[in-house]
Amino acid sequence: MLTPEQMSRLLIVASKDQMTPVITELYRHNLFHIEDYVESGAKGYEGFKIGTPLSGATEASGELVKIRAIQNTFSIRSDDFEVKERQKQSGLQGQIERELPAIEQEVEGLTQKRSKLETKVKEYEQKITELTPFIGIPGDLDLYRGYLRFAVFAGYVTHEISLSVPNEMFVVKGKGKNFIIVVAPVENRNVVEGALQEAGYQAVTIPDESGDPKERISFYSSQITLFKKEIEEVNQKLEAIKVKHASFLVACEEILKIQVDKTEAPLRFATTNETFVAEGWVPSVSVDSLTKALITATGGKIFVTVLPTDLEHDSVPVEYHNPSFAKPTQMLMDVYSRPKYTELDPTLTLSIVFPLFFGLILGDVGYGLMLLGMCLVLRKVLKGGEGAQLLIVLRNASISSIIFGLLFGEFLGFPLPWRPLIFSRHLNIGVSEGGHGPQIPELMILAIWIGIFHITLGRVMGIVNHARQDHGAHRTKAVMANFGWILVMWGILMIIWSIIKMPYMPDFTTMPSVVMMLNVAAVIGAVMLVVGVLFIARDSGLELIEIPTIISHTLSYTRIVAVGLSSVAIAMVVNYISIGMLIEPQLENITITGVLFIILGVAVFLIGQALNLALGILGSGLHSVRLHYVEFFTKFYKGGGKKYSPFGFNRRFTED
Amino acid sequence: MAAEVVAAAVSAISDIEVMKASQLGMKAIGAGLAVGLTGLASGIAEMAIGSAAVGATAENKDVFGLVLLLTVIPETIVIFGLVVALLLLF
Repeated sequence: MLTPEQMSRLLIVASKDQMTPVITELYRHNLFHIEDYVESGAKGYEGFKIGTPLSGATEASGELVKIRAIQNTFSIRSDDFEVKERQKQSGLQGQIERELPAIEQEVEGLTQKRSKLETKVKEYEQKITELTPFIGIPGDLDLYRGYLRFAVFAGYVTHEISLSVPNEMFVVKGKGKNFIIVVAPVENRNVVEGALQEAGYQAVTIPDESGDPKERISFYSSQITLFKKEIEEVNQKLEAIKVKHASFLVACEEILKIQVDKTEAPLRFATTNETFVAEGWVPSVSVDSLTKALITATGGKIFVTVLPTDLEHDSVPVEYHNPSFAKPTQMLMDVYSRPKYTELDPTLTLSIVFPLFFGLILGDVGYGLMLLGMCLVLRKVLKGGEGAQLLIVLRNASISSIIFGLLFGEFLGFPLPWRPLIFSRHLNIGVSEGGHGPQIPELMILAIWIGIFHITLGRVMGIVNHARQDHGAHRTKAVMANFGWILVMWGILMIIWSIIKMPYMPDFTTMPSVVMMLNVAAVIGAVMLVVGVLFIARDSGLELIEIPTIISHTLSYTRIVAVGLSSVAIAMVVNYISIGMLIEPQLENITITGVLFIILGVAVFLIGQALNLALGILGSGLHSVRLHYVEFFTKFYKGGGKKYSPFGFNRRFTED
Repeated sequence: MAAEVVAAAVSAISDIEVMKASQLGMKAIGAGLAVGLTGLASGIAEMAIGSAAVGATAENKDVFGLVLLLTVIPETIVIFGLVVALLLLF
């Protein structure tokens, strides 16, 4: 909790003949994060070489490429694939050798046939377009070529044309341009060409065909229909193969992927002629079990030891260590940056505070229920991955919205039949008299209190982080500086409280004055401020320019109220326009136009509420996340940790 | 004499009412300006970030979450405007 999973650096040394059992065992446990060996002559590793893949690596990766090609043809994605029953690996191994080449050949043959047919279809379609202009002209296509003494022109012209030389001309009127065929003696070719150019001539290739153009077109069309039918048949065959072999294919992919992973693992180890060395990280809790398993697997012919961790130089992979309810929120952390190994992991605070902020902003029973419904429906569609995690986060947020909606007494912008249990956010929109109105100052102060505590929490976490990460004099200074930030913020607050009286905030205005206009509280505040500034300046003078952010960041939390109120306002305006202005007046005396107005009113209501729901979810989500990323994390969080990705794989379709 | 005094009193009262109404109007104008101008400012600031964000997302889809956040950062400006407007009105 609040810290990443504790890791231990494990060193494994064994002779090369134990490589296969060691790799198999490591892969099975899926715990060992391999530190890739780089030949850089590091101390203690002089003379070591990167290992060579185990036998069968090339074959397995070749097969894997082929299977993935077939999967692409069928657009099968193993992530989307439902697991029905796990298949035995031993049985599949034989099946791969026996069946895969046949399937591959069949699929390849069929796809080739399909692409050939598709090319043919395109070719014939091209021919039809070429023939189409000639439909209007009686006469065989043979008549257009084969002359020694005549030149034939075919094409489109935009203007009328008249020729001064003997010729035969045929014109088909068209939209904007006419199709024209001119036959003239060869010696007059230049004259005809000139005249045609002037008329905006665009030549058309005369198709290399014979017979009536109409007949040719109908011939080609029938051919295309035939080809399309054949393509359809091929597609059906492919679909049949897909249905029959899909589960086999995903299982094969999985097995081959595992094989490739295993056989290529030595590429990440350091080896000598007879031995190999693997270094990596294992969660500290699993060190014993993994060591025992390795010793059993190799019959004791192995040396496994835990190396000391050097937090300054080692880049330790980071695995989250959170209670299960906070796990989905890790996704929001990964969007920002994974925590460093030595850093506090704020996932837990995020998983609690994010839904609270979201609920405070959206705070409407109706929208909360709709969002909850959407999440539950989408959960059925989206399986696994970040999307599913986001849905769980949103589900929690929607539950919080419903709770705050009950407290605020809001349902799609309508007031619920009781007075708001906490501060009211009901605006006086569409209410002529007597609405109790929103308690905006109280809400603002609530938001600012949230900000003050959130930022203080951030600074406290900053103190812890610096205490854990830094050393020597810098450590004290950094810790003091963070404490200084807290002092400055609370000092400013003390001064403000001593001057202005505010609801729901301490009132120090009545305290006895000490010097000039300042009373006791103000003096204490001023001292805190000065001491705080000194602490900050001792660590880094440049940081002092950040002091105004204390005020702007705290005020930034008022967005919780502002964004929420804007959403309430939109909802109330939509309700007022649709019901108050369009529907209600018509209900008194129903006429035909009145019915139209009522329909319009319903449409306005639906569209407006849908829009406001979308805006509400987007706004509440983004602003809640933003308050964390910008206002909270900047106080203590750096991130940039390396992801823990153990050597291994969670089998989904197969089993040993 | 008495009539004149009454008339003067009535006109004074109506003057006060006009003044109150115009003060309310001024508040409304102020609130409108606060939201409108800060909205424009946010828009201008988000313009550059938004276009850069779309470009970055086209290059690398993974940064979508981050750039979405960067894009909403200038929204603080309009939120302060909205806060000021709300405080003016209520």
